[in-house]
This record gives sequence, C-alpha cells and structure tokens, in this order.
Amino acid sequence: MHDVLLKITDLHVSYGKKAILRGASFDVRNGECLTLLGANGSGKSTSMNAICGFVKPVSGSISLNGTELAGKGPHTIFKQGVAQVSQARDLFPDLSVEDNLRLGAMQRGKGKAAQVLADIYDRFPRLAERRRQATRTLSGGEQQMVAIGRALMSSPLILLLDEPSGGLSPQFCEEIATIMDQLKSEGVTMLMVEQNLNLAFRAADRFIVLRDGQVVDGGDVAAMAGDHDAIVRNIYL
Amino acid sequence: MQTSTGTLSKRRRIFWLVPLIALALPLLTNPYTQFIANAMLIYTLVTLGFSVVIGNLGQLAFANTAFFGIGAYASAIASTNLGLPWLATVPLAGLAGAFGGFLASAAALRGIRLYYLAIVTMAFGELMRWFYTHTGVLTGGTDGLPVSRERDFGLALTSDTVQFYVFLIITCLLVAGTVNLLRSRIGRAIIAVRENEIATASLGIPTSQIIVTAFMWSGFIVGIAGAMFALHTGRVFPESFGLTQLIVNFAMVLVGGLGSVAGAVLGAVALTALPEYVRAFPGMEEIFFGVIVMVVLLVMPKGLASLLARVSPIFQQRYHRD
Repeated sequence: MHDVLLKITDLHVSYGKKAILRGASFDVRNGECLTLLGANGSGKSTSMNAICGFVKPVSGSISLNGTELAGKGPHTIFKQGVAQVSQARDLFPDLSVEDNLRLGAMQRGKGKAAQVLADIYDRFPRLAERRRQATRTLSGGEQQMVAIGRALMSSPLILLLDEPSGGLSPQFCEEIATIMDQLKSEGVTMLMVEQNLNLAFRAADRFIVLRDGQVVDGGDVAAMAGDHDAIVRNIYL
Repeated sequence: MQTSTGTLSKRRRIFWLVPLIALALPLLTNPYTQFIANAMLIYTLVTLGFSVVIGNLGQLAFANTAFFGIGAYASAIASTNLGLPWLATVPLAGLAGAFGGFLASAAALRGIRLYYLAIVTMAFGELMRWFYTHTGVLTGGTDGLPVSRERDFGLALTSDTVQFYVFLIITCLLVAGTVNLLRSRIGRAIIAVRENEIATASLGIPTSQIIVTAFMWSGFIVGIAGAMFALHTGRVFPESFGLTQLIVNFAMVLVGGLGSVAGAVLGAVALTALPEYVRAFPGMEEIFFGVIVMVVLLVMPKGLASLLARVSPIFQQRYHRD
C-alpha cells in the first residue's frame, strides 16, 4: 500500500479553448481528508471531474495507488475505487432510497451488497426509515445522505465530496459534518471541495488552495491553530 | 425494495389470478370474439416490448414494428421454407427480434438521442418493410408468406381456442420475465439510465451494455409476438408492419401508461377491443380510435395504469414513468 493514494501531477484540463487547470499537482495520502479551496472558477470542481473521468485532461497524470486513471471512462475509474458525491448529487429522483443505494453496489455480489446496505442503514438510520420513499420526496439534507451512502456502497478507496454542505440548512450542515467526522475516524480517505470554511477546516487534515488552475498554497490544518484569515485572504484577495 | 414483502406477494397473487380467470374466457366467446381475444394477447407483448424501451429505458426509439415484422417473417420463413412446426419457430422469432434489437441499439450507442433516434429507428422499420417487399424469393414479396397451422406437437393450432391457450402461456411467461427483469439489478440500472445516464456511468455501471440488453429484451418479446401474429393471421404481409402499426402500438403504450407492465396489458386490451365496436361503420374506426386516445390522455395523462394505482397501492410501480 502506498502512503500516497492519489497523486495528481501537472494536470491540464480545458473546456474548449479555455484552460481551467494549468499544471495542478497535489496528492492525497491514505486515510486523510484533503480539502481543495479556491475562489469560483479556480478549478476545484474541474479537478474532481477530471479525477472521476467526466472530463478528459489535456495532459498530466492522475494516479491511484500507482494505476493511471487519466483518460479512462467514469465507470472504469469507479471500479478502481473512486466514488464521487457531486455538487448536483446526481440521484435518481423517481427511484426509492434503497434502489438508489443499491445502484452504488452494482459491482458487488448480492450477499455482499446486502451486508453493505445494512451497514449504511446503521450509519444513516433516517434512510432506513425512508427506504421505500421516492428520493425526490426527501429533504435536501436527506438527499445528501443518500448520495454519500450510495458512494459508500462501493466501499471506495477514496471518496470525493464536491460541496457536501451546498444548499443545506445549518442544521443539516452540522449533520454532514458529523458524518464526515465519523468517516474520518473510520479512516476513509477523502478529497473535498467545500466553500463553508468552518466545515472544511473541521473535517480536513490538510488543505490546498487553487488559483487560476494552479496550486498556490497548502498545509496542515492543525498547524493553522484556528487562524484561517490568512487563507481566506489568499483565496479571495 | 419499493414494496414490502406482503404487498409483493399480493401483487404476485393478482398477477397470476388474471390469467387464471382468462382460462375460462373461451367458454364465453364466439369465434369472432375469440379471434379478438387472441389479438389482445399478441398486442400485450408488442406494447410491453415497446414500453421497455421508451418507458423504462427512456429512449425514443421506434423500431418496434421492425422487431414485430422480423419475428413474424422469421416464423413464417422457418415454417414455410424450412418446414418447422410453428412452436419450433417461436424461439427463432424471439432470437431474430433480439438481433433486430441489437441492431437498433447501435444508433443509441452512437449517442443518437431523442428525435434523431426516433427518425433513425423509424427508418429501420421502413427499411425492413422495403426488404420484405423486395426479397420475394425469401419473403413472398407483396403476396406475403403463409404460416403452416398443421398439427404442432399434438396441438391443433387451426383452432382459435387452442391458439388462445398457447398465446396465454407465452404471454404470461414473457410478462413475468419482464417484471422480474425490471425488478432485478439490471432493471434498476435500466431505470437509472433513463433518469441520468452520466450519473449511472459514474457508478461503474456499463450503460452501453444496459442499453443493448433493454433493446434486445424488447426485440425478443416483440419478435415472439410477431410469430404469434403470423400464426394468428395465417399469412404475413409487408403492409402489416408499417407506420400505421407503429402509431397504434405507440398509442397503446401511452394509453396504458409509459413504463408500466400493467399499463401495457391494459393499453393493448383497450385499444384492441374498443375499435371493434365501430367496425360495422366503415371509416369510423380510425376516428373512434383517435377519440379514445385523446380522451384517455386528457383525463388520465399517466394512462390507465394510474387508475389501478388509485384503486390500490399494490399497483404502484417503481419503474413507472410519471
């Protein structure tokens, strides 16, 4: 097992002629939570989408445990152990909560999937209560739980979370933060994009700051000792 | 699971109760109504196959008449040119229809969607009709091709009543097969592709394989319906598989309820039976048909299946498209 689980090297991604990522390099270590910070348009979500295979990099490398992922399709990358909870959550609204969760474990045998499903219900009792409800009838926070639960159904090597608190009430933000604390304590490796800095610094071990598609800053969250002002200035000013 | 075990077993009991009651139908029919009842079973499969692709998979593909014709001609050719008994042609017709489904799925796999997919698959159906017309040696051309109704594994298939029981068994098996498919992991993935294809791919699900599977299953059951149609009419003609047939099939899917298995049965039964009431008035049949479709869709936009769901939650289906 490598200490570094995911290694991004000199990644360039463009939408048409517009370059979004211009040589970004960073890595995620086993068991840690790394948060990507940056202003809008800095390339945070594009980094996530490139890792998941939704956009193809122009050049550069994305390596998971030594296996190259750059240029591969989303379903191949998912099978390698990368699961994303996207900003839009990408749930299947007309399917029940349980159907949504089970779709996350299509690659597993029936018995194994049932076991993981039971684990997810232990983790999110509210989803167990609503297992037969159409997902579209759930609140935003509950939908986020389904999205996280579905990603965990595949027992990924790394969980990518794109704005997990986006659009949620403070109460649900707290719930999401608690879920992330729990995932961290279980040693789940996470890469997160989050605009809510309180949540970002509560969950993350390390952070990096993206600006104009390049990594301009980074470090250990613990070393900041709660002084986040310098980072905020670095991101937005 | 969408339903509790209790609801599921209730639904299963009702599912098998319908054909059990239908067993007694020949006691109540005359030769004419028996002929119509047989047609209902054929169109149940045609509608169901169509509904799997446009309702459950969510692809606007109109290759249904192609599958229907391919199945009918495969059965007729195997019966007339190879001398096979009709029952032996049924699996061949299913496989030929499934191959048609595979060909039709190629357009969807190339990323062709919506109206473009509709027109490409419609062209496929018309191309097949041209093929039946212009390959007379094989298909009998515009004169059509007969299907042998000789005794078949001891069954007197010339009798509409015997045909009814054979059709009923085939229809029940294929409807049950479709219900099971849609409730399986593959079925869940088929609905997921309909809801959000990119998100489905991001869950490691090979969407191309799912699309091909749905098209092939649709082709398989509609192909078998084609073999039943060939036996039912005794002779197959290219004109039976044209745009009018397609419109009728599409109306059956919509009137029944898009993506609903119960709806496919209801739509096929309703739109096969009701126009018969005005058959005595030439020219009125099409008008009556159109009026039925309009009224049902205005009053019940989700089709007749929504009526059942209102009667009992047992009939609420998770793969039903709203």
